[in-house]
Amino acid sequence: MKPPFLRAFCALLLLLSANPSSAANDRGPVILAAASLQDVLAVAAVEWARQGHAQPVLSFAGSSALARQIRAGAPADLFISADEDWMDVVEKGGLIQPRTRADIAGNQLVLVTPIRQPVQVKMGRGMPIARALGSSRLAMADPDSVPAGKYGKAALTKLGVWTAVSPKVVRAENVRAALALVERGEARLGIVYATDARASRKVRIAGIFPAWTHPPIRYPVARLRTSRHADADAFRTFLLSPKGRAVLARYGFSAP
Amino acid sequence: MSSDICAALSPEEWSILALSLKVSLVAVAAILPVCFCIAWMLARWRFPGKLLVDALVHLPLVLPPVVTGWLLLLLFGMNGPIGRWLSDVFGITLLFRWTGAALAAAIMAVPLMVRAIRLSIEAIDTRLESAAATLGASRLRIFFTISLPLALPGVLAAIILGFARSLGEFGATITFVSDVPGETRTLPIAIYAAMQMPDGEAMVTRFAILSTMLSLGALMLSEIMVRRIAHGGRHVV
Repeated sequence: MKPPFLRAFCALLLLLSANPSSAANDRGPVILAAASLQDVLAVAAVEWARQGHAQPVLSFAGSSALARQIRAGAPADLFISADEDWMDVVEKGGLIQPRTRADIAGNQLVLVTPIRQPVQVKMGRGMPIARALGSSRLAMADPDSVPAGKYGKAALTKLGVWTAVSPKVVRAENVRAALALVERGEARLGIVYATDARASRKVRIAGIFPAWTHPPIRYPVARLRTSRHADADAFRTFLLSPKGRAVLARYGFSAP
Repeated sequence: MSSDICAALSPEEWSILALSLKVSLVAVAAILPVCFCIAWMLARWRFPGKLLVDALVHLPLVLPPVVTGWLLLLLFGMNGPIGRWLSDVFGITLLFRWTGAALAAAIMAVPLMVRAIRLSIEAIDTRLESAAATLGASRLRIFFTISLPLALPGVLAAIILGFARSLGEFGATITFVSDVPGETRTLPIAIYAAMQMPDGEAMVTRFAILSTMLSLGALMLSEIMVRRIAHGGRHVV
């Protein structure tokens, strides 16, 4: 009974030990990117790999969490933030390589509602968002730290409704987590980017926040000081090239 | 810097600590009777499917907390079967409320609590109970005068361990009830939120020290209780 098992076990060990070494050779650069870039960067990575590069390793989270990891010395190659603030923090810490910072895209901020149980709100100064919510909640990324939440708080403050609605805010770890709460109908309104709303079939846009209500939404990229991967700058350049821009545009991102 | 860290907690921080204690206390109080019954069943009864019950009880220990939180969201959310029933019949909402945080904490504490209680029940010398029965004591009397007192150290250990586990609960809680300040922002969630802020360092440090002290204290207390069980066992024999 035992020998076949043993053989299988040894074979498994061999397989496991063989894999990492080969993977290490063709492992692409490590990219830390804002959660809202999830779908588009995965596609961009595949297109870039098709040009003969190793598939980049993508890691998504709220820009704040990523900035924290970078400050703790995360061994990564590129950082793509959803706002300039977090890139500033990382840059001031001396953690990016000089002259590698550039904006890859822009976005819009929208109010979304689940398709199944939609809520109607008219956008504008003093909009009755708290009343429209009733006993439900407004899902958004953490307004104290995560970019989508900070833009959202700025917009609602400009429209004069932040104080009224803030007790009903559910703070998510990143913008996609906020989107998920709206998709499931657990929160009947949510603040996400236009591209997130587009990526989901379970929500529809209840309103678009006018550009004057919040700082411009831009996605800066930069190469990290700890970056060692030879191909890191090639991916950065690809994102800024017409081909990369085309992928971003396909997913609804605007030019920066 | 160091005075910043050692400074007394701000009112906001105190309320976070108070909320954490409330959530953990309610979680343990609510789940304790359930845990005792399960522990008794597992220690004393033989029934088909015992292995499955045992495995189910331990599931929260090994399941990724985010899965536990997701399951809670599916079941107890506004659109979940139990969540809708609770809100239709009793007007109770768990989602995004501190009661939901308590539910998540309670579920995560079950394996630890059942285990501690079960050990102490199994350590009871059943000859004592038989002797009492031959002397004419009712089953209820035997339970309250012999079984329960002998199992008490285990119950106390379970309370302390469960409380400590609840204080530290993060994954299932943030998945199920998210972060609502004053409602579901317990110690670990506040630490996580503060970690995301560029100037949150001092708050993270204070809370981290506080959490460590609370957990360490609870573990040492429960260890003392467990030793008592060992002693109690020897004493009886």
